[in-house]
Amino acid sequence: MLPGWALHTSFLTSAAMSAPWLGVAVITAFRRQDRALGCIATLLSILASTALVWRAPNGESLYPTLMLLFSSLTLGAILLLPRRDAETGTIAGILVLMGSTLLAYSTGDLLVLLGAWILSIVPFLWAGWFRSRTWRPMVGLLSSSLAISLAVGFMVARTGVSSISHLKGQSPGGLVAFSLLIVAAVFRKGIIPAQAWVADAAESGPLVPTALFLNGHFGALLVVKLIVPLFPETDHLFPVLSYLAIATAIFVAIRALAENSPRRLLAFLALSQSACILSGLESRTAEGITGALVHWVVVTVSTVGLFGILRLLEVRFGENLSASRHLGLAEHAPRLAVSFAILGLALVGLPGTLGFCSQDLLIHGTLTTHPLTGLLLPIATAMNAVSFFRLFTRLFLGKRRTGFTVMADALPRERWVLAGIVLFVVFGGLFPNATVIEHSSEVDVVDQTIRTIDNLNRDKGYSSTNIQRPNPNATPIAVREVDAAEQRPMGVHR
Amino acid sequence: MNVFQDILIFVVVAPGAVFAAFALLWLLGWTPSERLLSRATGLTFSASTAGVAALIWKITSASSITVAFGSWFAVGNYHFPLVLMVDRLSIPFLALAAVLSGLIGQFSATYLHRESGFLRFFLLLYLFAFGSLLAFAAGSFDLLAAGWEIVGITSVLLIGFFERRPAPVENGLYVFGIYRACDIGLLVGIFAMHHWAGTASFGSAFPNLIGRQTVIVCLLLLLAASGKAAQVPFSGWLPRAMEGPTPSSAIFYGAISIHAGAYLLLRAQPLLAQSVLASSLVVLIGAATAIHGTIVGRASADAKTSLAYATLTQVGVVFIEIGLGWRWLAVAHILGNATVRTMQYLRAPSMLHDYHQMHSAIGGELSPTGKQIEEMLPERIQLWLYRWALDRGHLDTMIERWVIAPLSQTSTYLSRRERTRAPSPTTIRPGRAVEVSTAGPAERSH
Repeated sequence: MLPGWALHTSFLTSAAMSAPWLGVAVITAFRRQDRALGCIATLLSILASTALVWRAPNGESLYPTLMLLFSSLTLGAILLLPRRDAETGTIAGILVLMGSTLLAYSTGDLLVLLGAWILSIVPFLWAGWFRSRTWRPMVGLLSSSLAISLAVGFMVARTGVSSISHLKGQSPGGLVAFSLLIVAAVFRKGIIPAQAWVADAAESGPLVPTALFLNGHFGALLVVKLIVPLFPETDHLFPVLSYLAIATAIFVAIRALAENSPRRLLAFLALSQSACILSGLESRTAEGITGALVHWVVVTVSTVGLFGILRLLEVRFGENLSASRHLGLAEHAPRLAVSFAILGLALVGLPGTLGFCSQDLLIHGTLTTHPLTGLLLPIATAMNAVSFFRLFTRLFLGKRRTGFTVMADALPRERWVLAGIVLFVVFGGLFPNATVIEHSSEVDVVDQTIRTIDNLNRDKGYSSTNIQRPNPNATPIAVREVDAAEQRPMGVHR
Repeated sequence: MNVFQDILIFVVVAPGAVFAAFALLWLLGWTPSERLLSRATGLTFSASTAGVAALIWKITSASSITVAFGSWFAVGNYHFPLVLMVDRLSIPFLALAAVLSGLIGQFSATYLHRESGFLRFFLLLYLFAFGSLLAFAAGSFDLLAAGWEIVGITSVLLIGFFERRPAPVENGLYVFGIYRACDIGLLVGIFAMHHWAGTASFGSAFPNLIGRQTVIVCLLLLLAASGKAAQVPFSGWLPRAMEGPTPSSAIFYGAISIHAGAYLLLRAQPLLAQSVLASSLVVLIGAATAIHGTIVGRASADAKTSLAYATLTQVGVVFIEIGLGWRWLAVAHILGNATVRTMQYLRAPSMLHDYHQMHSAIGGELSPTGKQIEEMLPERIQLWLYRWALDRGHLDTMIERWVIAPLSQTSTYLSRRERTRAPSPTTIRPGRAVEVSTAGPAERSH
């Protein structure tokens, strides 16, 4: 039996966060068995995060769940990495990314959040790691970091307090800090007008680490963790963020229609779909917020899988893949093709996948709050579906290309990871109640904040919220079950 | 829960469960034999058909059979009802889907023997059967939409079945675009029902809408129905869908999928009856489609396209009947049209053989059938109509010019603006790029 301290929340949080940093230290010191060491580090984080989710009180499992999700995805990403990419630097960089992301999810301190934010971009600024070959990603990331640094500095200087819970509802730093935080979220999330860096990062940087980086969703985290709880007085400005998010979703969806670079196209799809998260969070309805949180999970899982498959295809068939003609890769790699199709269709809301539930809730939530602009959301999703299907048909269908060996389909190691991811989105879609209701209890977090806002606003003579209370009877979360399935013993490695 | 409720669950879930089992095992590395697949198909759909027969027997004495599982998911006041329901409207459609899926499965076991996509076809057939049975047995518009989407995606994947040729693949993409665009109507219509009436269920809890709300919801549902049923102005996708294998054309565009739009309108009949504007529009669209279908069908050069337009003409007439409120006539018309067209589609590959047999039986060629109605028109109009029919009423051209081209041009313009401010990707890509057609062995780099 485990001693009591081993199950204490602070110990588990420390264990989940320190495992990747320990992994970085060991990998850089030994420089051998990088993939295995990376897997061990992420497994330790997964175990600690699972215990955290298990022990979290009802309504407080959002961040442990996100930690579990991100650490599980990191494990999947490390296993999916082709041998060509699984170098010491890449694995160490991925672990740095994971360590900083978990730190950002779990912290309740402004300065620690700022540190995690900056640490997460370090691998993407350093030429030896994941730095992009174009200027936009660096400018985007530095701008977001500068904005959040100024915002945090301003808030701490004005109040002398760095604890987020102590600053709740106090609008620390006023409109200046609020604006800086919005700027930071806009740059980090790739919201219009700062959307171009995301595609550049995906195209000219390392694919799998970039996918993990984008799916940390630090922009959305900033909204949930700081902007909504800390700034009730600027309540009337929140819709601006929603309008920007919806504009991003539709703009990027149109932009993707004529894109032929698979990397850029996937980045646009991921960006357009993840922009919906912000509009859902801002919708101030239980459906919208729950839809946004479930969509967060769907986008994260699907896009990491899609980027991973694309990288596997590049390694097998060459890095100049293009959607301008049919490549007929399905005959060489049918299982990669099917996994790609399922994950892509889940991303755009195919029934039977978790994406259908999240889209349904998001559309209901957003249309309730913004009947006209909300209409753009299903239109953007429809365009994304067409773009994704075009990419799928161009990559996988068409006349068979010659010159490949028969060993092009998913290897056992990759097959088990992809099967786990596919099972997650499918079983999540078939039995969404567990996932959705569990996340509904997390709506309480945002709900309480909005109630505070409403109380303040009512004192001033106006009220705008129409939030509905979720079902409080939380059930065991599906994420746990499927992540456990992902941790099954792997198949034989080549 | 009584035995008929169990049977209803079995009928809907059985094809989905078989699909899931085969798909998962294949994903993990196992490929079932043709014999196993065809036997499993026969067994599954025979059992489903027997189940539907039992449901028909029960429906003669009960108005409906309902199975409520509660909510698929629920948040706040919104919930996605998971309710299966068969009544006298849905049971003919359920029977049609179960029987024809089994027949097509048996036909395809021979027709697609040793075809490289044999397993893919059967998996998609199972998924299609599950989607259509779910749509027809749904107890609410929400669940109907889930089945509707599954039917759509399987339809598109089967159009691109012969994936080595670019034409089927590109046509599948076109059809997918039309489906997705029109399905926005269904999604927003369902949202509107929830928003205004608090429910999107059929039966006793049917959405109670008033005035303008009814018109808006009806128009949104009509958009979805028109897209699925290839009504004007979306008819252009139907001949493109003929690229798929004949058995799938038979069940999709002769029987089930093409009539799903009509089923949606039949379900929404209580709403349509309240709105003269929406009913008139249904009649108008149906009439336009019937005229369009009969004219274009006369200029079609191949058997499957002629059959597609013949089906379309009849579906147009069905829309007229629904718009006029002749509900049961529409149901009878759908059943007759679906069964006859399925038979005709399945015989289409043997058409020449059939003609040869007829010629040898009568000892010569068949005599001309007589005067065509278009011959009564002035020659100039005949010529114009012929050109119009050859271009299929310019419907595709209009969609291409007014929807696809502007979107594509906007996207290209945005792309150019983006590229002018960043280095070209070809200059920044790492040096180890390999041309697709000359890539080396996969395991070397793996």
